[in-house]
Amino acid sequence: MGRFVIRRLLQSGVVLLGVTLVVFLLLQLVPGDPVRVALGTRFDPQTYEALRARAGLDRPLVVQYLSYVGNALTGDLGVSFRSGRPVTSIVLERLPATLSLAVTAVVFATLVAFPLGVLSALRSGSPLDHAARVFSQFGVSVPDFWMGIMFILLFAGVLGWLPPSGYVALTDDPLGWASHVVLPAVTVGLVTASILTRFIRSAVLEVLSEDYVRTAEAKGLRTRVVVLRHVLRNALIPVVTVVAVQLASLLGGVIVIEVLFAWPGVGRLTYDAVQARDYPVLQGAVLLVAALFLLINLLVDVLYARLDPRITVR
Amino acid sequence: MSRTRFGLAGAALALTLGVTGCSAGEGVDVDGAGPSGASAGGVLTAAIGGEPDQLDPHRTSAYYSFQVLENVYDTLVEPDANLEMKPALATGWTTSQDQLTWTFTLREGVTFSDGSALDAEDVVYSFNRIISEKLNAAYRFATVKTVTAANPTTVVVTLSAPTPNLLANLGGFKGLAIVDKANVESGKVKTAPVGSGPFTVAGYTSGDSIKLVRNDRYWGTKPKLDGVTFTFVKDPTVALQNLRGGEVQWTDNLPPQQVPALREGDDPTVRSVPSTDYWYLALNQARKPYGDVNVRRAVAFALDREAITKAAKFGLATVNQTAIPKDSAYYYEYAPYQRNTDQARQLLQQAGANGLTMDLMVTSEYPETVTAAQVIAAQLKEVGITVKIRTLDFAQWLDEQDKGNFDAFMLGWLGNIDPDEFYYAQHHSGGAFNFHGYRNATVDRLLDQARTETDQAARKQQYEQAAKQIVDDASYIYLYNPDVAQGWSKRVSGYEVRTDRAIRFRDVALAR
Repeated sequence: MGRFVIRRLLQSGVVLLGVTLVVFLLLQLVPGDPVRVALGTRFDPQTYEALRARAGLDRPLVVQYLSYVGNALTGDLGVSFRSGRPVTSIVLERLPATLSLAVTAVVFATLVAFPLGVLSALRSGSPLDHAARVFSQFGVSVPDFWMGIMFILLFAGVLGWLPPSGYVALTDDPLGWASHVVLPAVTVGLVTASILTRFIRSAVLEVLSEDYVRTAEAKGLRTRVVVLRHVLRNALIPVVTVVAVQLASLLGGVIVIEVLFAWPGVGRLTYDAVQARDYPVLQGAVLLVAALFLLINLLVDVLYARLDPRITVR
Repeated sequence: MSRTRFGLAGAALALTLGVTGCSAGEGVDVDGAGPSGASAGGVLTAAIGGEPDQLDPHRTSAYYSFQVLENVYDTLVEPDANLEMKPALATGWTTSQDQLTWTFTLREGVTFSDGSALDAEDVVYSFNRIISEKLNAAYRFATVKTVTAANPTTVVVTLSAPTPNLLANLGGFKGLAIVDKANVESGKVKTAPVGSGPFTVAGYTSGDSIKLVRNDRYWGTKPKLDGVTFTFVKDPTVALQNLRGGEVQWTDNLPPQQVPALREGDDPTVRSVPSTDYWYLALNQARKPYGDVNVRRAVAFALDREAITKAAKFGLATVNQTAIPKDSAYYYEYAPYQRNTDQARQLLQQAGANGLTMDLMVTSEYPETVTAAQVIAAQLKEVGITVKIRTLDFAQWLDEQDKGNFDAFMLGWLGNIDPDEFYYAQHHSGGAFNFHGYRNATVDRLLDQARTETDQAARKQQYEQAAKQIVDDASYIYLYNPDVAQGWSKRVSGYEVRTDRAIRFRDVALAR
């Protein structure tokens, strides 16, 4: 197990290096000049050249890339074109907001989707099943930003129960954080819950048709036992993967929702960085997301071995 | 222009809104200083549409930064509500006979918020920093030869040519702020700037908010508020909801289509005033057939500006065929283009430009250009011009503009004050922003002359001649001057919307 983890970590390093190269090259293809955006429309060619040189953009691309990677190895991800502040600290500052939103959203989604998916599979064809399928169809097809605006108008506007937007750090004021996280987390969570409900339903249905389930039922086990011990345990394995993938993608920041709810996370940072062509920040954010993705995948693989004794990690 | 550029200078706008106590230091009497009064401190939360890129006033070009910095820094002189330049850190100034030496007298006893003294050396340091490091406002010092400190309260500026708009150049907006050398050299100026203004930065949470607290060392009337917190809310519907729900007490990020209705109500209070911005259509004269003045005039005759303004600004703008708005001292009434499709067709025929297809570049950064483009396309269709609209993000838009890859584009210039800012760089053949390739020797001569003309009447006349020629040549096809709309809670008193979009909270009080 230990060797497995070490090997995977080394592989992750190579993947991350690849990520930096791809992102760097892609950025060169994107039209738009970060220095030009920083100066706005009212600029002076001399000011332009001076800023370009300060940002190191007048160096050859190979030099720019190698110095970036060299510095990145020491944890220095460069300096933002826009703010002149170190990218490492900018990106890390945004992580708690995104983490707390993503985790809350996934917990909410799982709490909704798990019972809904399982019941809907066990009572396939019942009114409950139909309702669950309508719910998940709705969640997948309604745009999240629209749903977010509707929630704001209803819960912050008409009812006045919750603040419409903003962020309070969990460590500063847990209650304040909770009241602010509800709307964005539910908005994001409903979409995730819809995806998970469908997935859990079909995973459970698949297991229900397995021979060992029929055998278990045939030998007279109570339905409860069959479901808990045989069906769920087996259906859980693919579900864990999907939950993890959902979590990982939310950690990349839910750009639209973070922008809408003024949530200071990685998604909003990425959005602003794209608008300003702030390459160092964009690279830093992508690198962070890629690293989180790899980490979660690794955790899932380790978790697999726990859930299913047939799988071993070597 | 833009969320980006924020310059000001002095077109005198006949605004009746007086900002009390902003130039001198006398006290302002506020009703009821008691516990229920409006002057009982408190922290005002203001929602702005985006996050400042950084807080170094000389390095940022983002309007969001200047919204905050307006309350943190001082300039040598500053525009009053009518955009006339008034004393700020300088109490007075004299000009030499030849107009080439300006001597400024500084206010005594001014300190930065950290307690260190602000004297002539700080002014010299600030201006020389902009000039020698070629920072954003460097172009405003084009005629400045030297800036020196004669003594701690006297700054002398020498010029290479008379510069009638020097005051606007040196104090039009907070990009010319007087900064603290130690604060700059430590690098803290980016997130924790130290100024001499009414408030000082107490905290900055990236992506979320900037907290200002009252600067008790401020030389002017002490602000009534204990502090101001700026939060960044991009979505206007959400910002309005925050204002209605009382989470914020001020915002300028209102849904434009709701502003006319909001202005009718009294909670929140929503006010709008005409701004000094202008929006225009430019045709690329380096490309055929737009080098032909008849084609450009045909487009000008084909447009119905009222309809464009209504669609793009929901009536929150004034149609104008020149650049400078009605309330300005330099306004020039001239409107030769009334919509006339027959005349437009005839001009196109004359130019041999039938069945023209025009590429029109607009940007999602300014949604009004996207909306206006659709109306423009429909109107030009009626005279036989097929418009292909290209909507780009701003970075790409700027790229295309710089490379000349367009038939036409629509954009605006924001925060202009002096007529030089309205015309020179855009229409002089050597102008830095003449992206559309306009060349007219008469206009060049007039703009050069007016730039150094110290006789105000003669200067006004020169700008009028230049404006007439620019409009006749359809160098820019001017569309409208937009309004500035802002809203605040009933609890807020003493706030006035300014035509230059500067956000000043120094005289504001918040009722409990």
